[in-house]
Amino acid sequence: MRLRYVVRELWHHRLRTGLALVGVSVATAMLLDMLMLSGGLETSFRRLLSSRGYAIRIAPVGTIPFESEALIPSYPTLRDTLLDVPGVVGVAPLLGANVELRAGADSARAFALGIDPAEQGVYRLLAGDPPAEGRVVVDEGLARDAGLAIGTRIELELAGSLGVARRVNVRVAGVAEFVYSARGERVVALPLPVLQRLAGRGDRIAFAMVRISDTADPEAVGAAIRARAPRVETFTVSGLVERARARLSYFRQLSIILGSVATAVTALLVGTIMAVSINDRYGTIAAMRALGISRRTVVASFTGESLVLSAAGAGLGVGLGVLTAGYLEGVLAGFPGLPAGIRFFVLDGPAVGRAIAIVLGVGAVAGLVPAWRVANLEISRTLHREEP
Amino acid sequence: MRPDPAVAAAVDKPVVEARDVEREYRVGGEVVRALRGVSLGVAAGEFLAVTGPSGSGKSTLLHLLGGIDVPTAGRVWLGGTDLARLSTTQRDRRRLLEVGLVFQRFHLLSMLSARENVELPMAEAGVRPADRRAASEALLRRVGLAERSRHRPGELSGGERQRVAIARALANGPRLLLADEPTGELDRGTSEGILDLFAGLNAQGVTIIVATHDLHLAARARRRIELVDGRLAS
Repeated sequence: MRLRYVVRELWHHRLRTGLALVGVSVATAMLLDMLMLSGGLETSFRRLLSSRGYAIRIAPVGTIPFESEALIPSYPTLRDTLLDVPGVVGVAPLLGANVELRAGADSARAFALGIDPAEQGVYRLLAGDPPAEGRVVVDEGLARDAGLAIGTRIELELAGSLGVARRVNVRVAGVAEFVYSARGERVVALPLPVLQRLAGRGDRIAFAMVRISDTADPEAVGAAIRARAPRVETFTVSGLVERARARLSYFRQLSIILGSVATAVTALLVGTIMAVSINDRYGTIAAMRALGISRRTVVASFTGESLVLSAAGAGLGVGLGVLTAGYLEGVLAGFPGLPAGIRFFVLDGPAVGRAIAIVLGVGAVAGLVPAWRVANLEISRTLHREEP
Repeated sequence: MRPDPAVAAAVDKPVVEARDVEREYRVGGEVVRALRGVSLGVAAGEFLAVTGPSGSGKSTLLHLLGGIDVPTAGRVWLGGTDLARLSTTQRDRRRLLEVGLVFQRFHLLSMLSARENVELPMAEAGVRPADRRAASEALLRRVGLAERSRHRPGELSGGERQRVAIARALANGPRLLLADEPTGELDRGTSEGILDLFAGLNAQGVTIIVATHDLHLAARARRRIELVDGRLAS
């Protein structure tokens, strides 16, 4: 009966209810987007790092992955050392170099990745075969833009090489999706020794990813690697995410500030609407109290009204938030150098649940305050107040 | 009109009693003495009219007798219980179960039908939905509105609204019905209907106290007192 009354009351004041719903929806959408943003980068970074099954990254000593041109010497020795560590089941080396790619009269700048085709974690093959001596894998965008098909002959030349040009002639063996590449980045993968020769890097690599057994603890394996290979830096996925979190504190602060603003707007909006609504009904509320309707019932009725309003607004707001997050994601996707797999806004249950819980909580409190106030007014004097 | 013998037997038991009651309000820094040492007893089955000019303290006395307000000095007993000894919540419960209230402006919830308005005090008292539905239909029949139970207050005339308000006041079978200017917003013809209704309820044993400055209404009561400047004049 109480819910029926609440719904009818809200329906009776359709314009006021509609405007309040729009306001709560927009505030909920903003809050949800901020909650998605505050954890989105971290969540998607963790997912990206874990997506290929490598739990540990190895970088040159004194550096962190992705951020230095320093190299790790003597990869074969390092690989043997790593494979001797209990729990390690595979090592995926990586070397990078900028190259000019020529196919007939066309040329394009690309980033070459030297990998071990038998143990790699940088691409998912979409068509064709893995790289081999004289055969490479190119990314979808490069294949499309440069008109490359499986079997196409191409020439790779080290970009910026002075004096005698360093070149290699290869065929396209496959087309792949490169999981760590930035949007629009052109990538070609070839066997590590081929790129090492082309780039003149000897037996050095830039980076390695270590796969461990399902039962092994990444932290324990990382510590064992550090003990055996002191000239490299070891990073677990959690360690990298922790570093990223520290660097992304700006996003978190921004989202906390804007999320707080959205929460405050929700509170003010619902509180104002409820105060107006209650003010309209002072005389009737006093009459209900005079009849013996308890303060608890009065408070529950108005808090219920506020909750219904907040819940409906939150429901609409979640949809709106998802839409705006999608739009903003499209805008932010062009962030330079960021892997295409990284998402600023990650829609997950906890974020949606938190947004709804915050809006409902704030709505309940915003309705509770004026309801409690009116429930405790002096009945006798309030009875004579004029109602509009 | 005389009550039936069963009611007559209970007439000597006071339903409500006020002794040396005073009520002061502070309005804009000034103390207004609304009631000054009023003592009054109302026995079961009585139909009492409280008359007096505007501002004489009629509504204030009604509110004190019904436990809506508490006196600044003096005591009020409702059904033998000193209301000053009850908490706000306990007084709410007493009013809900033992006092019916009828207001000049009806104070019906506009979003609810006549039947739902009547059900409201029963719902608060914890009556089961099926029982309160049947009881509310019966009460609306009793006040002559059986055919209007689905109508909302906005679809009813002033007299019909007041009848719904009376049915609501009777919802939990109160021992006392308090009406504050119940015909104040009604025309003469409609008022007559409401007065007949009150007389009929009183004949059925309902104790009624009406605050009014309508002498015609006061004449229908079986006892009448007059307040002047917060004091009993008669």
